[in-house]
Amino acid sequence: MNTKSPMKTLNITILLVLGSASIVLAAEDQQNPATLEMARESGRTKSRFLKKTQADTTATSAIPTANVAYFQKSVGPILNKSCLACHGPETSEGRLRIDELNPDLLTGADVGQWREIYNVLSNSEMPPEDEPDYALADSDRGNIVDWLSDELNKASVIRRSNKEHSSFRRLTKYEYNYALQDLLRLPYALADNLPPETASADGFKNSSELLQMSTMQFETYREIGLKALRRATVSGERPKPVTYIISMQDQMNKAVSGNEDKTFDRNDESYSKNRKRQHLFDRETGKGIHFSSGKSTPQPDAVVEQSPAVSPVVLAVPRNNELKLNLDRFLPDEGIMRVRIRAGRSTMNADEYASLRLVFSAHTSNNANFSQVVSERDIPVTASADDPQFIHFDIPLGDIQRNPFRKLTTTFPRRDEFLHIRNVSNAGGGDEALQVHIDYIEISAPFYQQWPPKIHTDIFVDSDRSDERIYGREVLTRFLRRVWRRPVASQQVDQFMTLFAEYRPGFSSFEDAMLEVLATALATPEFLYLTQRAASGAAATSDTISELELASRLSIFLWSSIPDSELLTLAEQRKLREPEILSAQINRMLADRRSRRFSQNFVQQWLGMDGLNSVVHVTDDSLKEAMQEEPIAFFDEVLRRNLSIIDFIHSDFAMVNERLARHYGIPGVHGPHFRNVSIQPQTKRGGLLTCAAVLTMNSDGKDSHPLKRGVWMLERILHDPPPPPPPNVPEVDLTDPEILKMTLKERIADHRNKPACLSCHSRIDPWGIAFEEYDAVGTYRTRIKNQAVDATSQLFNSQTLAGIDGLKRYLLTDRQDQLARAMVHKMTAYALGRPLSFGDHADIDSLTTQFRTQGDRLGDLVHLIISSNIFNAR
Amino acid sequence: MNNKSVLLSRKIFLRGTGVALAMPWFETFAADGSGGDETPKRFVSIYHPDGVGLPLKSDPAWKDWSWFPQGGETDFELTKVLEVLEPLRSDITIYSGLSHPAVRKVHGHSNADQYLTGAATGGHGLYKNSISLDQVYAEHAGKYTRHSSLVMSTNGGVGGPRGAQTQSFNREGRPIPAMNKPKQLFNTLFVTSSKDAAARLARSKSALDLLIDNTRSLRRQLSGHDQETLKQYIDAVRDTEVKLTKAQKWIDTPTPVVDTGNLHLDAEPKEARLYFQTMYELIYLAFLSDSTRVATFQLGRENGEGPHDLLSMAVGLGGAHGLTHEVKKPDGWKNLGTYNRYQAEEFGRFAQRLKDTPEPNGNGNMLDNTFAMHGSASSSFHLSRNYPIISAGGKNLGFTNGRYLKFGQGNEDNQAGAGIVTDAGWRGKIEAEELPLAQLFVTILQRLGVETDSFAGYSGTLNRV
Repeated sequence: MNTKSPMKTLNITILLVLGSASIVLAAEDQQNPATLEMARESGRTKSRFLKKTQADTTATSAIPTANVAYFQKSVGPILNKSCLACHGPETSEGRLRIDELNPDLLTGADVGQWREIYNVLSNSEMPPEDEPDYALADSDRGNIVDWLSDELNKASVIRRSNKEHSSFRRLTKYEYNYALQDLLRLPYALADNLPPETASADGFKNSSELLQMSTMQFETYREIGLKALRRATVSGERPKPVTYIISMQDQMNKAVSGNEDKTFDRNDESYSKNRKRQHLFDRETGKGIHFSSGKSTPQPDAVVEQSPAVSPVVLAVPRNNELKLNLDRFLPDEGIMRVRIRAGRSTMNADEYASLRLVFSAHTSNNANFSQVVSERDIPVTASADDPQFIHFDIPLGDIQRNPFRKLTTTFPRRDEFLHIRNVSNAGGGDEALQVHIDYIEISAPFYQQWPPKIHTDIFVDSDRSDERIYGREVLTRFLRRVWRRPVASQQVDQFMTLFAEYRPGFSSFEDAMLEVLATALATPEFLYLTQRAASGAAATSDTISELELASRLSIFLWSSIPDSELLTLAEQRKLREPEILSAQINRMLADRRSRRFSQNFVQQWLGMDGLNSVVHVTDDSLKEAMQEEPIAFFDEVLRRNLSIIDFIHSDFAMVNERLARHYGIPGVHGPHFRNVSIQPQTKRGGLLTCAAVLTMNSDGKDSHPLKRGVWMLERILHDPPPPPPPNVPEVDLTDPEILKMTLKERIADHRNKPACLSCHSRIDPWGIAFEEYDAVGTYRTRIKNQAVDATSQLFNSQTLAGIDGLKRYLLTDRQDQLARAMVHKMTAYALGRPLSFGDHADIDSLTTQFRTQGDRLGDLVHLIISSNIFNAR
Repeated sequence: MNNKSVLLSRKIFLRGTGVALAMPWFETFAADGSGGDETPKRFVSIYHPDGVGLPLKSDPAWKDWSWFPQGGETDFELTKVLEVLEPLRSDITIYSGLSHPAVRKVHGHSNADQYLTGAATGGHGLYKNSISLDQVYAEHAGKYTRHSSLVMSTNGGVGGPRGAQTQSFNREGRPIPAMNKPKQLFNTLFVTSSKDAAARLARSKSALDLLIDNTRSLRRQLSGHDQETLKQYIDAVRDTEVKLTKAQKWIDTPTPVVDTGNLHLDAEPKEARLYFQTMYELIYLAFLSDSTRVATFQLGRENGEGPHDLLSMAVGLGGAHGLTHEVKKPDGWKNLGTYNRYQAEEFGRFAQRLKDTPEPNGNGNMLDNTFAMHGSASSSFHLSRNYPIISAGGKNLGFTNGRYLKFGQGNEDNQAGAGIVTDAGWRGKIEAEELPLAQLFVTILQRLGVETDSFAGYSGTLNRV
C-alpha cells in the first residue's frame, strides 16, 4: 500500500468558492465568540460525540444489519434535494453520483464514498455556503450524519475480523536500543549501526507494515548483542584506574611561580577587566592570575572519590570560557571515564544560570584535528561558591572519538588528548557577572562503583559456581526470562545449554563462552519482535492477547522498551488486567522517567519533527535545540497534568526555556530548562501550531511555505491528508516577470487557479496562508517586506480564516470533534504499532466518545487506549 | 561447471615476471548465477597527498612543470610531469574541473579523508564521514572473492580525523585500517591462517541452527499473517547461513601459491622505489589471483611526516611535503614536478603490467577490465579544488581513453589558484565552476555494475566520460 490513506476516495472535488468573502466575514463576526476561550467552550457544545448515547457506540453482539429503510424514508430525499444538482446525472462534480451509491454500507461497495460524504457533512464543508438554494438545514444535516455514523460503525464492526494489519512486528531501532539499554543497564547508545526506519503515511516509525528484516540487519543485531554483553560484563581482577587530580591550589602555585609580575589583586583598579578573563583566584587573599589551559599526568597512587577540604583557590570560569586540560596519552581505550568537578556559583542571582559541558579533542597535526561534545547534557551548577558541590560526568571512552595516534612510540603525529570543561551560561557582562568557581577536579578511568559491577552480577549472578552446568542453567534461565519477557520452559534452556557445551572448550573462561550463548538469545525473534501468539485450547476463540503480551505491548507503548520485573511479575500472576492494578501500573509507568521516551518518540513521529533536522536556515544551535524540545515539553506537560488536548490548538501557557523565550519575546525566563510560562494573547503563542519548530520545518529556508504548512495541518493535526500531487503538475514559472511581481499569496492563488491544481490546493492552501503571520523561523510578523501581512484565507466551504487567531477560532468552534478523533486515531496507531483501517473505525469512534465525555484529557486517553478492546486484541 | 575453471586450476606461469602463481579455483559462485564466473571488473584508487605543481602561465616553469596537460581533448600535450605516461596515452584519461563541493573551502591538509567519500568532513569540530567509493563497490563485488577489498597506505592504520591514513570508509563512515607492510599484505593474501576463523564460523553455524529451531517453535503459534512477517527473519538467518557456507569454502580452499623469489617483502618506505613497486606488485597479484577486485592505496599522509616524506628520496629530493612549500625557491616547480612525475611513472608501470597480462578468465587484458584511478584532493598549494586525476584502463567497462577531459567552466587553462603559496589561496573566493567529483563516481559505479544513480547525495553521471 503506498496510497496515503486507503479509505479516502480522491474523486470528490470540492468547489472553490470565490467572491462574497466580505459579506461572510461580516456575518461571521457577529456570531464569533469574543475570546478563544469562549470559542473553545461553545465549540464543545457542538460535539456529536457528546450527544451520542452509549448504545450508539458499543457494538452489540447481535449481527448488525443495514438500516436501508431509514435511508429510503429520510436520508435519500434530503440528499436528492441538496446534492443531486452537482453530484447527479446532469453534473457529477468530483465524479460523484449521489444517486448511484448503494445505501447498504454493510454489504455494498461504496463505503469509501460514504465515509467521504460523512466527513464533508460533519465538517460542514458541503454544500457550499454560497449555494443558498441547496443549503442544508441543521436538523437535516444532523439526521444524515447520525444515520451515516451508525451505518459506518456497523460496517466497521463487520470488517473488524478481517484484519488488514497486525501488531506483530519487530522492535524499531530506537526500541531495540532502549530494550538493550534497560536489559543490560548500559546508559549509552548501542544501536547506531542499525539502519534508520521508514515512517508510515501517518508518520510513525513503529508501523508493522514497514518494519522489515534484512540479512544485513540480522547480522548487525548479532554484532551489537555480543558487543553490548561484553561491555556489560568484566573479567579478572579489578583494573587499576588511571587517575588525574587537578587541584587549583597546585595549579596556582605553578602558574604564579616565576610569574609574580603577572598576578593581579581584587583591589586593583584593573580588576574588573582581569576578572572577565578566565583566571585562578584565591578567594581569601584576592590574588589572581590568568589561566586557560593546564596539563596533567596520572597520579599512580591516587585514591578516587575523595572529598578533600575545600580550597580557597579556585578557577574562575566566566560565561562561555573553558578550561582545556591536556591529559596526554594515558586514558584507557575502554570503560567509563568519571569526571568529578567541585564547583560553585560566584553569585546566586536567580536571573543567571551556569552549567558545565565537557568537550573532548585532539590536534594530531596541522589541520588534522577534531573536537566533540561528550557530555550527554549540560549539568547546572547550583551550589554557592561558598559551599561548592561535586558534579560528575560519566563518559564511555570506547564510544567517543579518540586520538588514534595515542599509542605511537614516536611523538608525531601528536599523541595527546584534551578534555575541555566549559561554562555554558547566560551570565551578563557586569562586574559581578556570574562565574563558575572550581577548586578541584578528579578524572578517573576505568571507573567502577563496585567490583564486580552490578550490571555484571545481574547477568552472572552471585551463586554456587561449582558445577558449570547447574550454574549455567541458572544464568540462562534468568537472562532468557528478561529477554523473552515470559517464564522459560526447562527444555528451552536445554537448547541453549547444548550450545554452551559446544562452545565451552573453545574458551578459557565460563563467562566468555556464556556471553556467546547469551548473544544468541539476543538474536532470537522473541527478543527482536513483539509477539502475539494465537490462542490455543479453551481460549482458542478469543482474540485477546495474553497478559504477558499485554505487559510487553504496554511497556513498548509507554517506555519504548521491554517490561521491568514488576510488570512481568504481575503478568505472570495474571493480575495485570485487573482494572485497579492496570490503572496503578499505567500511573507508575507514566511517573517513571522512561515514559519521557513516549513523549519524545510519539511527538517526534506524530508531528514529523525529523523535518527540522534537514533545516539549514537556523544556524544558532541552541535555538534549534530549543525548537526541537518545545513540542515534546508541551506534550509532556499536558500529559503529566492530564490537561485537555484542545490545549494543543490553543493554550494560555507556553513551554519555553530562555533561548526560546527570547525568540518569542517572552520576558523573564532564565536558564536552559523548559518550564510552563503564562502568556498573553499578544504573544501569539500557545499550543502546538505556533511552535517555532513546526513553522520552521514547514518553511523553505528563506520564507514561510504556506503549502507545506497547510499539508502539515491536514496530515498531522486534522488527520485529513490531501491526496498526492498528480504526475504532471506544472511548476510555478519563476522566470515569468509577471509571476515574480506577485506576493507569495498571490502566486499561490495563481497556481491554484490552474485546473489541474485547483481541487487539491483549494483544500490545502487556506490552512497554510493563515500562518503567514509567522516567518521562516516562526517569528511573529505584521509586515512582509513593505506590505502588511495578508494572512486571511477562505476555506473551500467559505469559512474565512483570519490569520492565526481566526484559524484557532475556527478549529475551536467547529472542528473539536475532528481534532479529538484525530488525536485518538494517531495515538492508537502508535500504541498498536500498525496502521488503522476501516475495521478499526468503530473502535476509534467509541474511544473518541469516551475521551470527549471525560473532557479530552491526554492522560485519560492513555488509560482509555490501554484498557480498550482494540489494545488488548490480537 | 565451465571450461574456464578447468583452465584456471593449473599453474599459470607468467613469463617475464618471474612470479609463479598457482591458483586454486572453485565454483562457489557459478552455481547461483551471481556472476562470479564472469570476467572480473576491478577498481583501484591511488591517492597522493599535497596536490601537484600549478605555476602561473607567466612563470617560466609553466610550460614544462605544470601538472595538467596543455591542449584539447585529444590533441593534448603532456608536460614533463606526465610525459612518462605517453606510452600509455591511449589507455589513460586525464580530468580537470572536478572536486567535492562540500570541502572546496577547507584546507587541503584535512581532505584526504573525503577524496573517495565526498562527505562534508569540514575543518574543525565534530567529525563525520561516509562510505567511500571503493567500499560501495566492495559491497557489490566482495562476495565473489576471498577478500572484499584491499586497503593499503604507506603510513598504515586509520590516521586521525582530518588526517586520514586510509582511503577507505565503511557504511557508517568509520575508517578501515590500511596495511602498510608488504609482508603483512602478502600473508593476508596468500598465507592466511584460518584456525580462528574456522572456529568462529563453526560457532556461528551452531547459533544459527539454534535460532532456526527456536523460530520454528514460535512460528507454529502465530497467525498466518504473522508467520509471513516472521518469514523475513527466517530468510535473513538462511541468507546468513549461505554466507557462512561461502566463507567456509574460502577457508577450505588453499590460498594461491606465489613464488616470493622476486618479491621484496621487507621493503620499507625509505627504499621508496622498491617499496612502491612491491606494494603495486601485491595489488597486481591480488587482482591476478582474483583474491579481491577492489583496492585503495594512499601514498603518504597530508601534511607529511613519517614514511610519507621518505618517498621523495626515490628521486633524490628532500621531504615530500616540503616540496609543495618550496615552489618559489630555485627549481621549486621542477622539484615538485619531478616528484609528481615519479608518482605517475610508478602508476604507469602498474598500468602497463596489467595491460601486458591477458585476462586470466575473460576478455582482453587485465587493464581493460580494471578502472585504475590516481589523484589527489588538492591541486595547487592547499587548495581543495580542481583535483588532478588520471584514470587508466576500463575499456571493457565502457571507458574511452586517450583523452583530456575538462569539466566545469571558467578555468580552461587551470589558472584559478595557480601559483599560490600562502593560505590566502586556499581560503580564496571560488571563481571557477567545477562539477562534483561524485558524478564521476556514479559513472564508475554504474560501469562496474552497481545499480545506483547517486553518490554522497549527488545524483547523475558525468557526460563525455
